[in-house]
Amino acid sequence: MADDAPGTAGGSAPAAEDAALQAALAAAHGAVWGYGVVGSALPADVRGPVSAAEQAHRDVRDELTRLLTTRRVDPVAAEAAYALPFPVLSPIDAAALAVTLEDGAARAWTWVLDQATERSTRELAVARLADAEVRAVGWRGQAARAPVTTAFPGLPEG
Amino acid sequence: MSPPPPPAPTGALTGRPFTRRSLLVATLAGTAVAAVGCTGSDGDAADAVTPAQVDQLAAQVRVQEALVAAYAQAVAAAPDLAGAVTALADQAGAQLARLRAAAPGDAGTTGAAPSAPSAPVDAAGARAWLRAQVAAAADAHAAACPDFTGGRAALLGSIAAGLRGQDGQLA
Repeated sequence: MADDAPGTAGGSAPAAEDAALQAALAAAHGAVWGYGVVGSALPADVRGPVSAAEQAHRDVRDELTRLLTTRRVDPVAAEAAYALPFPVLSPIDAAALAVTLEDGAARAWTWVLDQATERSTRELAVARLADAEVRAVGWRGQAARAPVTTAFPGLPEG
Repeated sequence: MSPPPPPAPTGALTGRPFTRRSLLVATLAGTAVAAVGCTGSDGDAADAVTPAQVDQLAAQVRVQEALVAAYAQAVAAAPDLAGAVTALADQAGAQLARLRAAAPGDAGTTGAAPSAPSAPVDAAGARAWLRAQVAAAADAHAAACPDFTGGRAALLGSIAAGLRGQDGQLA
């Protein structure tokens, strides 16, 4: 059942897998920035989950940076600035932005699963995908969305 | 005094992930279609499955069948649960349909689902029991996911993540 490509160091991982990991890293950069906006739109006493989520994405960012560097791939850098998908003017908007960030991360990790040739990469991706969806469930509730769960995080529903 | 204007939106909060989105979704849809349609005869190495993987995918179908049955059993035992779990049960059913479609050959139509122990008859007990079934199914799909590649890995990982979300919702 194993289908592992040989080697994790020295740049032998296929380019498609690395490209998908770069996309996940780009999503993590965006999420770290975006949670700053989420936090600024929420009262201070309810920012605990924001800090936790932001730290989680920082950890993912650092983990992916290390992994790509080990493969001798230059990790994608954060953008200087990002465009918000909609104005964030209220706590509901903030929660909706957090949903957008987590859904984007879920898409990126699902793409990693699709592209990965190394088992260790798929193990990483399935764990991080679940983390993103669990956070998204909490934010969908705060964004007054129903249902708060989704059958296929990161995949088209169709 | 008005606040300074926001920085010019040069980047990628929506830009990188979302300009990529259409490509990503289209590509994922393509792989999903490939997985659904695969019988191993089209020569697509990325979508080929070994006999052991066929068996494992059939096992994941049975895991999901058992979960769908568990939802029905929990609601039958504790009708008060229906309002809280109907949407979750529908999602579990949709996951089962997509898993069956992704299973090559007859893998998705094998025998009866393994039966779980009976659900408790009170709502709180049934909810906790159901949550345990959801968590077990999520664990099983997450464990199986890395054994596959391409669209099937993406599908199993996505379903596992969806069930993690359900697990949290049932807490």
